[in-house]
Amino acid sequence: MSSVIATRGLAKQYGRLRAVDGIDLDVRAGDVYGFLGANGSGKTTTVRMLLGLVLPTRGEIDLLGERMPRAGRRVLPRVGALIEAPAAYGHLSGRENLALLDAAGPGGARRDRRRRVADVLEQVGLGGVGRRPVKAYSLGMRQRLGLAGALLRRPELLVLDEPTNGLDPQGISEIRELLLELHRGGTTIFLSSHLLAEVEQLCSRVGVLDRGRLVLQDDLATLTAPTGATVVRTPTPERVRATLDGRVAAVDGERVVVRGGDPAEVNALLVGAGIPVTGLAPERPTLEEVVLAAAATSADRVERAL
Amino acid sequence: MPRTTVAAMASGWRAAAPRWAVVGVVVAVVVALPAIVGALPVADSAVPAAELRATVLAADDVRYSGYAESAGGLALPVTRQLDSVADLFSDRTEMRVWWRGPDDHRVDVVTAAGETGIHRDARGTWTWEYERATATREAATPFALPAPPDLLPSTLGRRLLSEATDEELTRIGARRIAGRDALGLRVTPAEPASAVRQVDVWVDRASGLPLQVVVLGEASEVPALDTRFLDLDLSAPDAATTAFVPPPGAAVRTAEQAGIVLEAGRRLGPVRFPGTLAGLPRRTLEGAPPGIGLYGRGVTLLAVAPVPPRLADGLRRTLAQSPAAVTDDTSIRIAAGPVGLMLVDPQDARPFLLTGTVSLDALVEAAAQLPVLVRQR
Amino acid sequence: MIAVELRKLFRRPRTWATIAVLNALPVLVAVLLVWTDLAPRPGEGPPFLSAVLTNGALYPLAALAIVLPLFLPIAVAVVAGDSVAGEAQAGTLRYLLARPAGRTRLLVAKLVAVLAFVLVTVLVVAAVGYLVGTTLFDAQPGAATSVSGTSLTPEELAVRTVLAIGYVAVSMLGVAAFALFFSTTTDSPLGATMGALAVLVTSSLLFTLDAASPIAPYLPTRYWLAFVDLFRDPVLWRDITRGLALQAVYVGVLLAAAWANFTTKDVTS
Repeated sequence: MSSVIATRGLAKQYGRLRAVDGIDLDVRAGDVYGFLGANGSGKTTTVRMLLGLVLPTRGEIDLLGERMPRAGRRVLPRVGALIEAPAAYGHLSGRENLALLDAAGPGGARRDRRRRVADVLEQVGLGGVGRRPVKAYSLGMRQRLGLAGALLRRPELLVLDEPTNGLDPQGISEIRELLLELHRGGTTIFLSSHLLAEVEQLCSRVGVLDRGRLVLQDDLATLTAPTGATVVRTPTPERVRATLDGRVAAVDGERVVVRGGDPAEVNALLVGAGIPVTGLAPERPTLEEVVLAAAATSADRVERAL
Repeated sequence: MPRTTVAAMASGWRAAAPRWAVVGVVVAVVVALPAIVGALPVADSAVPAAELRATVLAADDVRYSGYAESAGGLALPVTRQLDSVADLFSDRTEMRVWWRGPDDHRVDVVTAAGETGIHRDARGTWTWEYERATATREAATPFALPAPPDLLPSTLGRRLLSEATDEELTRIGARRIAGRDALGLRVTPAEPASAVRQVDVWVDRASGLPLQVVVLGEASEVPALDTRFLDLDLSAPDAATTAFVPPPGAAVRTAEQAGIVLEAGRRLGPVRFPGTLAGLPRRTLEGAPPGIGLYGRGVTLLAVAPVPPRLADGLRRTLAQSPAAVTDDTSIRIAAGPVGLMLVDPQDARPFLLTGTVSLDALVEAAAQLPVLVRQR
Repeated sequence: MIAVELRKLFRRPRTWATIAVLNALPVLVAVLLVWTDLAPRPGEGPPFLSAVLTNGALYPLAALAIVLPLFLPIAVAVVAGDSVAGEAQAGTLRYLLARPAGRTRLLVAKLVAVLAFVLVTVLVVAAVGYLVGTTLFDAQPGAATSVSGTSLTPEELAVRTVLAIGYVAVSMLGVAAFALFFSTTTDSPLGATMGALAVLVTSSLLFTLDAASPIAPYLPTRYWLAFVDLFRDPVLWRDITRGLALQAVYVGVLLAAAWANFTTKDVTS
């Protein structure tokens, strides 16, 4: 698989503050990459460096196989981006905003502009919005318009920063469907978010940023692979402990963690002992557990330097 | 968080430095350019002072056009009737000039929102005031109040040099004026009574035309008058440029600017003036009213005249308002740069006025030497 | 890119509101002048205003002279100060740059848009001035008097008026360049505008100060009124050429600085 985003030792220093501290991102074609991190962990700075908005202090960025920010003029037309909040000219309609954005850079042919704008508005669910100026849009509509702007040139790579911000649950689900559909069509998606659930539902690969360092980067499947233990739900946990003495790792109310990766084997033992089993599954760590284990503290906390 | 500023310093300084260097070079070149042009060497010439003066006096037929600026540092305490004369010596005056000869020239005093054009022909002058839309015709008189053309370096320099003696002259190097090489000539008045320390005249090497005149008073380092050309073109201007026809819609008037002085002098009647005052010999000036006595030579001049009592009262009040005025029993005197002014009001005679480019001591001396001019108040 | 910026500027209601406000003052002055028939005294008031009473065809020039010292530069500073900082504040700058609209190209396009605004504004002021002048005052298209007291033919008057309009537009470029440069250094359009106006006020103040006379020829506002020189006869080119050169220097230096700053800065807005 070819690399879509590859950084080597990427770092950004603001004065004495290391906002991004030598990260090696590796996003491959076809990935839905979840870029996780608390607020202030350096996510936004990294996204901006990828797009050539912020110039790195050190390190290299390859985007779609070309060096950024030098090759920005060739590469960026193939990338769609939603950077933090969406933004548009309030006095113009969404349609005009998209037309202006399309005309502002290379790679947007003029003759099919009108059609592409109409298509993309339809795609994000703004097809019937008409000539209303953007300043009359709701937050969710603006978010959809921002996404439309990112999709305008059928990009190979979508870089999205908190794309479901401001959407209602219905909208979130719609956008998720849209992203998955784009992904099926071959678009690589780089999704920066602090919402674990969103990433867990969408992403195939995860990177975790903690205070400027990439503390974790792996396939979601690997991270949440079975641990070799089985989770048993039972109204009588004390009887489980008695029956499987030594194999019980933890008891938490009706939830008992039993060593041994084969639920069938555990089930046979418990049923044989006449213990009621209401639930049975191989133990998998949640993404939350993985992230919390990797990222020590919240970056919002300001600790005294040692 | 002051992200933007900090970022600008830290981020890609390597990328920013060469670009700012480009800006720095551009700024340096632009800033240095006037200094470099100004520092271009000026060729001096070994012409002796007397010869240079002769060249200037011989160059009275040079035709030219140009742009001159005169800056006066004199606050003359005069009455409202002579405001225009006072402005001439206290303000910055910008002048365009087209000179075909003493009887055929045009001097436009340029202001931000208009101009006053003085067109001289053989019989007199037209004065065009744009903002009043007025054209004023005045017949030529041998005696006239100072006007903008008198402040041109060319006319003023020639006038001041014409009465200087060779002993008063020294050469003072060369400099660049209006983009031309100018040779310096300094007049140091010999008269002890003079309030003028020196007059520097810078003369165009090629044509003999004075390009700059700087008058320094006895007490000050700030020139009492500094007039210079900023642009000079030595080709003869078109006759159509100096001519003037009142435009349609303009108010046309006739006036005698010198009327005030002439009228005053005529009314006073002839007065018997002594032959010398404060060591300055009496001189005659064609057309000057007989009621005015003129003394001195070159840049050292003294004028004496009786004044009507009413005018004297007004003048005394004006002078008394100035903190620099020196008052005693019968007189009040004041110095404005190199120009001294003294009003004497004896108990038993008509008041009289002494003024000129002489020191206050010389004014006192002259006043004491004056016979009582006219008995009877 | 330039077309995009022009569309953005001229589709914006605020642009036209600014131009309308700019025209209000000369119209008000004209109405008052007709009503009271009191011409400004010589040496006071804007150039050409007293001449307008006898020839309304000169009102475009009087209108320009009225807005030139303050209103016009403020309008230019507002628009130019908003050009980059306004996009930064609205958040659209990051989308434009990620589009990617090259930074240098964006800067040039912004400058061209500001130029277009200056030109349109000056033309509108002159056109409205002409309408007002010819309807409210006696217009004598055949006989205009130059500042020097000579008669100008209608063709001469027209040519010189066009030159004056051009000169006034060029005079505004220095302010525009200052505002554009400040606009690249901040995310606040108001800050950029205020910066340019501070330069303007400083320049106007220093110009009146004798102590500042050594630097007076380099002040950006020094030669603004030189458009009057076009109506002297012969035309006094001295200050006009100096004014053009000075504006060119300011524009060149400030654009270079804006470019050096903008192309190497982190866009964090």
